[in-house]
Amino acid sequence: MLQNTISDGVLHVADPEPAPPPPLIRLRGLTKSFGPNTVLNNVSFDIPEGRTTAIIGPSGTGKSVMLKHIVGLIRPDAGEVLCFGTDMARAPEPALYAARRRMGMLFQDGALFDSFTVGENVAFPLVHHAPQMSEDERRAKVNEKLALVGLPGTYERATASLSGGQRKRVGLARAIIMEPEIVLFDEPNSGLDPITSDAIDQLICDMKQALGVTFVVITHDIVGTVRVADYIAMLYRGDLIAWGPTAEVLRAEHPVLRAFLQRNLILPPAGGSGDARLPAVQ
Amino acid sequence: MAAAAAFFGRVGAYAYFVGDFVVAVRRHGVPWRLVLQEAYSIGVRSLPILLIIAGFVGTNLALQGYFAFKPLGGSRLVGMFVSLAGVRELAPIIAAAMVAAKAGTEMASQIGVMRIREQIDALEVMAVNPMAWIIAPRLVGIMLVLPALTVISTFMMVGAGLLVSVVQLGVPGEIFLELASQGISAPDFLYGQVKALIFGLIICTVSCYFGFTCERGPEGVGKATNQAVVTSAVICVVLNYFLSEVFYGGAH
Repeated sequence: MLQNTISDGVLHVADPEPAPPPPLIRLRGLTKSFGPNTVLNNVSFDIPEGRTTAIIGPSGTGKSVMLKHIVGLIRPDAGEVLCFGTDMARAPEPALYAARRRMGMLFQDGALFDSFTVGENVAFPLVHHAPQMSEDERRAKVNEKLALVGLPGTYERATASLSGGQRKRVGLARAIIMEPEIVLFDEPNSGLDPITSDAIDQLICDMKQALGVTFVVITHDIVGTVRVADYIAMLYRGDLIAWGPTAEVLRAEHPVLRAFLQRNLILPPAGGSGDARLPAVQ
Repeated sequence: MAAAAAFFGRVGAYAYFVGDFVVAVRRHGVPWRLVLQEAYSIGVRSLPILLIIAGFVGTNLALQGYFAFKPLGGSRLVGMFVSLAGVRELAPIIAAAMVAAKAGTEMASQIGVMRIREQIDALEVMAVNPMAWIIAPRLVGIMLVLPALTVISTFMMVGAGLLVSVVQLGVPGEIFLELASQGISAPDFLYGQVKALIFGLIICTVSCYFGFTCERGPEGVGKATNQAVVTSAVICVVLNYFLSEVFYGGAH
């Protein structure tokens, strides 16, 4: 398991693997337009199994649209998205749902049902897909996942009373309740204060260690990305301008990529060696 | 021209939506445990306002009937007029209008909020069909409740008409009731129930359609809610004419 760390303001990024693991998600020639706006333009790359891949880029560059293609919520104009070998754009509903049962997704605001309690929200996929499970077993499993995301003893709590960070944690507990092979995160840090944002990054790192599954994180939080990501793909105006292991992407020469990353990081020289650093706090 | 194209585009999208819903229910079934909850919620929310509206429609029918027939020497026919107009026409359409105003708007706004908060996307990603899970229990609930509300509305109208006729207009109660029962027959109640079922189908599918296709933001939810109640009320009123023509047109 690759692990990036921060100490004394220096981001130590794990050395790239000799070869990435086999891909679990393959994007091939993905193209999508909304009216005259081309949001994704012939994007192709692989998301390796068991690793954390961050998809970064400025706002409005097609990151969330790409995530929605991966889960089959949007159909591309051209190209394909293969998850577990299933073409998510063209699969019939039973095959699509079978693939989705092997995935979990954390939405920006958690997408929780406010009329349910925290526990009912987390238990929702189990109620639908594991009806044979007894109430006690279900409750035990929900409590286990709530403890894993740092919210033990909140089963009966009203969802409407949760803070933004807590909603994300509950959303994450729901996303992992079915033991998925892929967990997708849509802007996990959006709308959070820096401390809660760091806590969510740490939670993703902990989950990565605990679950060992494939994570796909959509974000524009650069420091968080470098902390959690084994691989980075960068989108800019619908084009994929960089893809590879985090250490290699940080040293890449693409001027847009460097300009984007340097907003929050002091990068190692292009094509050179060394770790990225956090800027000194003023 | 553009408005006509937009209108037919909407009609086509609604038809496609209903088709998708039918396929979803055939494939995923109805979550029956939610049906009673929906039926209770729709019925309880619509009943108080329905009782008030139906009652005062009944009083006005009695007044208008009395003053219309009095110059012709037929003021006692007021009972027949109230029951005929109430059972055949006004009770089903008033019950439908109240359910559209209360339950229909709530469906559209609830589903609209689910749409903009990505809860419908979340259902999809959790491999739970949102059409079957959200619409089906509401549809079955409304189909159970609206016929019952129509019956209640009928009795409220006739009861209020009777009260005004006896207390204010001096029509003997037994005459009112005798002529009221002569004016209608069993098939009239049956037709009222058929109308209620059709109106329920329209209100639920139209309200859910506007909720599902809600645009982003609070403005989108408000617009969807408004469109849901206006569209379903217009369709029900227009359809009511054609249904009456089918049911009673042979009497010409």
